[in-house]
Amino acid sequence: MYWNSKDVSVFLEQKEFVDTAVIPLLLIDGQASQLKQNASSAEFLMALTAFIENQFKGRVVLMPPITYTKKSNYQQLAEEWTETLSEMGFKHLFFVSSDMAWGTEASELNVIYTPSIPLENMDQKLRQSVLDDQLRQIIPVFANRWAKNGQ
Amino acid sequence: MSNNRVSRRQFLNYTLTGVGGFMAAGMLMPMVRFAIDPVLQKAGGGDFVPTDKKVADITDVPERVDFAFEQVDAWYTSEVTSTAWVYKNGDKIIALSPVCKHLGCTVNWAGSPDHPDQFFCPCHAGRYEKNGNNVKGTPPLGPLDEFEVREKDGLLQIGKTRPNTLV
Ligand code: FES
Repeated sequence: MYWNSKDVSVFLEQKEFVDTAVIPLLLIDGQASQLKQNASSAEFLMALTAFIENQFKGRVVLMPPITYTKKSNYQQLAEEWTETLSEMGFKHLFFVSSDMAWGTEASELNVIYTPSIPLENMDQKLRQSVLDDQLRQIIPVFANRWAKNGQ
Repeated sequence: MSNNRVSRRQFLNYTLTGVGGFMAAGMLMPMVRFAIDPVLQKAGGGDFVPTDKKVADITDVPERVDFAFEQVDAWYTSEVTSTAWVYKNGDKIIALSPVCKHLGCTVNWAGSPDHPDQFFCPCHAGRYEKNGNNVKGTPPLGPLDEFEVREKDGLLQIGKTRPNTLV
């Protein structure tokens, strides 16, 4: 499900089934030399999380990305969002990012790290299969965490 | 000079006929269009989308087949990729939609080790038999949809979804 009014009304009715939030974490670096790279990895992250949404549509809500800069306080972002999303009733939170800093700065978030693959020069078919491969690696992460923390 | 002057009456006549004509055309054109619309429609090959799956390669084990088509949302056209679970039942090709009838996750054939001959939905452990029939006691309330299929030059083509006809 997406964070739009139609899907959110389903979420409100089906809270026992829709218990997971997927949150893309998106770094905007700001340095001129990094802009292209930034944009490309944003593109990748949004495409990948849309794939995740499609696979697990009935159980997850894909949130709009949390966009931050190098100066943001990672620790604080992590706490704020965990708190807010838990209050909303989500039992499982999956943060997805291609910014490696999350592993060291806020490791308790358990961010799913995915290396960013430049999609811009790929045709539709290749794109599809690259994203598919990534999705296939992420599915078990979801399955395990769901199994561990109970249905 | 005075001969060429347009009288008030003439002026009104001209303008009213002109404007009236436009109005009439504006009203009539859509009606005419509606009437002959079927004639104007492009003669396409229906709504079937080609895949690169050889019909000869389809077995009795459901297999994932991806197909891409263009979707037009208002003025924006995008390419969408969809998936079907395809297998042969005798000679008949069956293509089932992977969209779970509970809340819409994507189901997988043999997705659960405990049920190797069923479709499995990872979201809330919904299950379906091979013909798409939902297993009672799991969350889904109806069978998986079915795609229309046809063969062209030995390759599979996939059409619209329709309610399951197998159960
Ligand atoms: S969405 Fe498939 S079982 Fe709930």
